[in-house]
Amino acid sequence: MNTYSQPPLADRESIADAVNPLGLEGIEFIEYRTTRPQALGQVLEMMGFRPVARHRSREVLLYRQGAINVIVNAHSPVLPGGAASDEKPEIAALALRVRDAAAAYRRALDRGAWAVPSRVEVMELNIPAIHGVGTSRIYFVDRHDKFSIYDVDFVPIPGVDPQPPAIAGLHFFGVVQYIGNDRTGDWTEFYSELFGFSELPAEQRFGILPKGRILRSPCPPASRFYIQLIEPEAGVLDVEDDEALQRIGLGTVDVLSTVAALGKRGVGFVESRGVHTGDRGALTKAWLGGVSFELVHDQHR
Amino acid sequence: MSQYSGNIDDFGMDTISLAGPLEAKLQAVRDAGFSQIMLAARDLVGHPDGLEAAVAAVRASGLRVTGFQVLRDFEGLSGHLHDYKVDIAKSMLEMCHLLGCRLLLICSSTSVHATGETQALVRDLRKLAMLAIPMNIRIAYEALSWGRTINEFPQAWDIISQADMPNLGLGFDSFHMFATNTPLDEIELLDPEKIFLVQLADFMWTEIKSVEERIATARHFRVFPGEGVHSEALAALVTRLHNLGYRGDYSFEVFNDDYQQLPLPTVAQRAWRSALWLGEDVLRRSVPLPNQIRLKRRMGG
Repeated sequence: MNTYSQPPLADRESIADAVNPLGLEGIEFIEYRTTRPQALGQVLEMMGFRPVARHRSREVLLYRQGAINVIVNAHSPVLPGGAASDEKPEIAALALRVRDAAAAYRRALDRGAWAVPSRVEVMELNIPAIHGVGTSRIYFVDRHDKFSIYDVDFVPIPGVDPQPPAIAGLHFFGVVQYIGNDRTGDWTEFYSELFGFSELPAEQRFGILPKGRILRSPCPPASRFYIQLIEPEAGVLDVEDDEALQRIGLGTVDVLSTVAALGKRGVGFVESRGVHTGDRGALTKAWLGGVSFELVHDQHR
Repeated sequence: MSQYSGNIDDFGMDTISLAGPLEAKLQAVRDAGFSQIMLAARDLVGHPDGLEAAVAAVRASGLRVTGFQVLRDFEGLSGHLHDYKVDIAKSMLEMCHLLGCRLLLICSSTSVHATGETQALVRDLRKLAMLAIPMNIRIAYEALSWGRTINEFPQAWDIISQADMPNLGLGFDSFHMFATNTPLDEIELLDPEKIFLVQLADFMWTEIKSVEERIATARHFRVFPGEGVHSEALAALVTRLHNLGYRGDYSFEVFNDDYQQLPLPTVAQRAWRSALWLGEDVLRRSVPLPNQIRLKRRMGG
């Protein structure tokens, strides 16, 4: 051991920031699964998304604004016993842009990820996936430069601008994940080991809902996004343990003008004892039993 | 409150002490006054009506599942042997998850095909723990006293510390500690939060001369704590663990050929006397706490 006092590396160089084992470069799309695709589509359109393409054979629509892709998958699997899955739309998948999808997939499996067997009957996008939180999946996509994955299985909707501009420069900022009691350590390990996420210091928070732990993706700044892990309120009884991707965070340089623009489209925002629209962020009201969007002030784009 | 008294909810039986079908074991354990039971994979897969029926029986019993056992000879393998064991581990995890059980027990490897190289053991245990994270399962790693490389708990602890996964901890079995004459003081090394399970057993002779005798004793001649000649040592061990801060479960890991041919209530009564002895005489607890509810531990507390 060296007994000389040397400044910690982090004081001089942010070496840890450079670690990006998968060449992660942002979110390609987020997929919702729902039995009410039209109702969810209305919500997305109110939020500024436009349907731009339709799956060739499935009831799956691609919505887009700016660089944000959202897939609505109406192909909900039927549970044993014949009942349809419940009515509330769920965030069913997160697709990550990586340097090499096959390599990223193999690396994840080597480290203890669960492979999702490819089920072409559901999505027909033959891209590798691992299991994420709850019933969700994490896809690895590496064809985001030359041609898009949507060219394969989707047909553009005629007469529609395939690249509708984003309202007020909205972009992906992150995803909020609800987790069980005492699960912050587990999920931090999951995202750091498999994808190279790192934990933000507790004093560094975004938006108006600072609870829990925030993990920063190792992406370059232009495509950086965050995952926020939120445990149940302290003091509540030890209820088991619904874990899921809860909502999408959208970044904007000007929260208040974005709120105004969305307000004109009919979007309502939560005003309560704990949650207020402000310069730092805002939270939309929830639709369809739980679909909401968080706006977060984000200077970087 | 039943006819039974005593605050011993953290003591439980193990199905391996009992003969007969799963339902009879569950009934006997519950009737004796226990609130939890340790299950083995064969309890489920050997059920005449299949896995689902076994899981339903466990859930209907109202007993909490202490843990699920046992994954053997997992760590240190390579190539196709490693892949094979990962598949086995995944099946064990899936059964554990079906049960709603939060703990999988793994014994240190006895395989002559396994390397003893620390880095490989660490890597494999990290991978196993990662596989368990999405299912919210903790991994308890136990030093089998005839393990090839890891055969005493301080060695297991060393591997666990190096692996440094939030859901990987120690499974502590008093039998193996006594069999190898590991000094009790070594317990002071342990972080009580990372002891995930303590299994207790006594046996009838003071000395074990060979590894063969150790294995035979472990598998056929264990008795409940207080019934053998190591009662004093067990009392000292439990007291020491308690003083260290351990507040997890104690499970009676009693393999005994005689108990396999006694009526189930008879065996369960012996276990109950053992639990009373440990709870009331050794740990000096008085009365049960009325209306005890478990509150969530505060983060960072």
